[in-house]
Amino acid sequence: MGAGLTGYAIRRLFWAVPVLFAVSVIVFYILRLAPTDPVDAILGKNFYTEEQAQKLRNKYGYDEPIHIQYLKYMQNLFRGDPGLSIKHQDFSMREVVFDKMWVSFRLNIVAIVITFGLGIPVGVYAALARGTFVDPLTIGFWLLIDAIPTFVMAPLLSWLFALKFGLVSLKYEGLASPNILLPIIILSLPGVAGVARFMRASVLSVVGEDYVRTARAKGLKESTVIFTHITRNALLPMITVVGLSLPGLAAGSLFVEQAFGIPGIGRESFQAALTPDYDVVLVIVLFGSTLFVLANVLVDLVYAMIDPRVRLGAARG
Amino acid sequence: MPEAISAQLQQPVAAAKPRRFRALRLLVRKKVASVALVIIVAFYFVGLFAPLVAPNDPNAQPRPLAAELRNAGPSGDHWLGTDALGRDLLSRVIYAARTTVLFTIVVALTGGLIIGLVLGLLAGYRGGWVDTAIMRVGEVLSSMPTLILMLAITAAFRSRINDAAFSIADNTSLSTDDARALVQFLIIVGAALPFAWVGQARIVRSQALSIRESAFVEAAESIGANTWRVVFRHILPGTLPLFWVGLSGGMAGIALAEVSLSFLGLGIDPPAASFGTLIADGAGPRAFQNNPHLLLAPAIPVAVFFLAWNLLGDALVDILEPRSSRNH
Repeated sequence: MGAGLTGYAIRRLFWAVPVLFAVSVIVFYILRLAPTDPVDAILGKNFYTEEQAQKLRNKYGYDEPIHIQYLKYMQNLFRGDPGLSIKHQDFSMREVVFDKMWVSFRLNIVAIVITFGLGIPVGVYAALARGTFVDPLTIGFWLLIDAIPTFVMAPLLSWLFALKFGLVSLKYEGLASPNILLPIIILSLPGVAGVARFMRASVLSVVGEDYVRTARAKGLKESTVIFTHITRNALLPMITVVGLSLPGLAAGSLFVEQAFGIPGIGRESFQAALTPDYDVVLVIVLFGSTLFVLANVLVDLVYAMIDPRVRLGAARG
Repeated sequence: MPEAISAQLQQPVAAAKPRRFRALRLLVRKKVASVALVIIVAFYFVGLFAPLVAPNDPNAQPRPLAAELRNAGPSGDHWLGTDALGRDLLSRVIYAARTTVLFTIVVALTGGLIIGLVLGLLAGYRGGWVDTAIMRVGEVLSSMPTLILMLAITAAFRSRINDAAFSIADNTSLSTDDARALVQFLIIVGAALPFAWVGQARIVRSQALSIRESAFVEAAESIGANTWRVVFRHILPGTLPLFWVGLSGGMAGIALAEVSLSFLGLGIDPPAASFGTLIADGAGPRAFQNNPHLLLAPAIPVAVFFLAWNLLGDALVDILEPRSSRNH
């Protein structure tokens, strides 16, 4: 099994190469061919002479044919140079992108723990209450929370907790300050419905199993049956949901970061897309796509490792 | 001969009817789903017939603009109050619904129905390198972070909005404002389309793959039915139930894309109405404290609309995909 797994992982990662190559080409061409001139962003629209513009185009290589620009960019990328930010000219890409990603990542980690910590028990609870009004009411409540866009939830909860109850201040004072609780809650709430629904379906597919009936028949306490026989087995498919939410950890929520002034990658993405800050957008997209592909491979591998019934066929790419 | 053809053409319609009504009947029997369906139908009706439903012109400003006419709370004259320019908020919400409704229809029809269904059928029925190519492209698109790309695409093309709008306004009867809204609308449609078909194509493909192996397809092929007939008469109907499930499950996401882009100032700009810009006007804790109606008037319909689509999508999964284990 071990050798098969390794081979499978290598095959899958090998397939990731053309995917990421295509992503880089598409994004590069979209950005370069779009009818917005980055020189406008650097010098300020209508405030420069053609000579100054030419100088800048020459400096960044924008005056060369696109495929040459692409090849040069990729060459630099593989040398470990992810390019230059137009907007933040005195900063390295590490400072512009990865330091901000780290801020978003730490927020998202806490948020995702809350999302699953709430969603899993809610799902189990709803599944066990199936047939009563409690089940649709619980799921319906979280679906409603999910239906409220983040940019509505943020001002509503900010008003409630900061202005009405005065519990927190809305000023961003770093990740250690209690003010960060509100953005974390807003980040974590929308995902609960999805986790709960998935968990509910998973529990329902397990409760009818023979081993659950056996556990009850041999007189185990109901709590033991629920926790060790039902919930533990129902958690197995959750690996997919957890795994596929991992690439989102590095993404950052634009709306939450915008509303609370958090210097994260979501806000930077927005700024970079507006400018347009070519290389910053490119780095963020490529990094995100890479994580997505890796997470998919990881989910399949973990599945195969913990569930011996799963066979990773050669036919599956 | 024409009789034979028209008889053939009518057959599938006659055959499909009872099935469609069966799904609808089952849907109505579920209370939550029928409420969701009513909300969605009402929303689309209001959106499509906005000029008939709206009590006021959404852009009409009172002149002179007295202070008490601005940001006024709900009253008999203005059921949802007025905005900062004294415009009737109910009318603006109704016209915002029109923007959202048109956007979901256009994106669902082009991305979901035309591109998604056709590519899915093609990939599933043809197989081979066609299948590989289509699915690989889908894989590439779905691996990309959607929001930042939509932001980059819309931001990049917005610099040309005025050029395009002026040339449209010169050559048609549209006003400059309408032409500008149209161009903005087309930009966000173009930004959403590349990501709107992948899910649908995957669903249709997997269905087509399994139906292709069934005995009735083999029978049709063996009596010499051509590819078109096999695909549209024998394979397409079987893929449709899950196609509708996928489409209804994706509608809230499509609508959210428009509202989000407009909220960020990259979608439909004022004076044209969009839920995104209406929410942006009232968003912010201070703004909400001072004028709660500015946020609630657009936010409640949006949330109800999203919720209704999600509930309907859930109900359709139960009805049209009986093998699914999600609700037993």
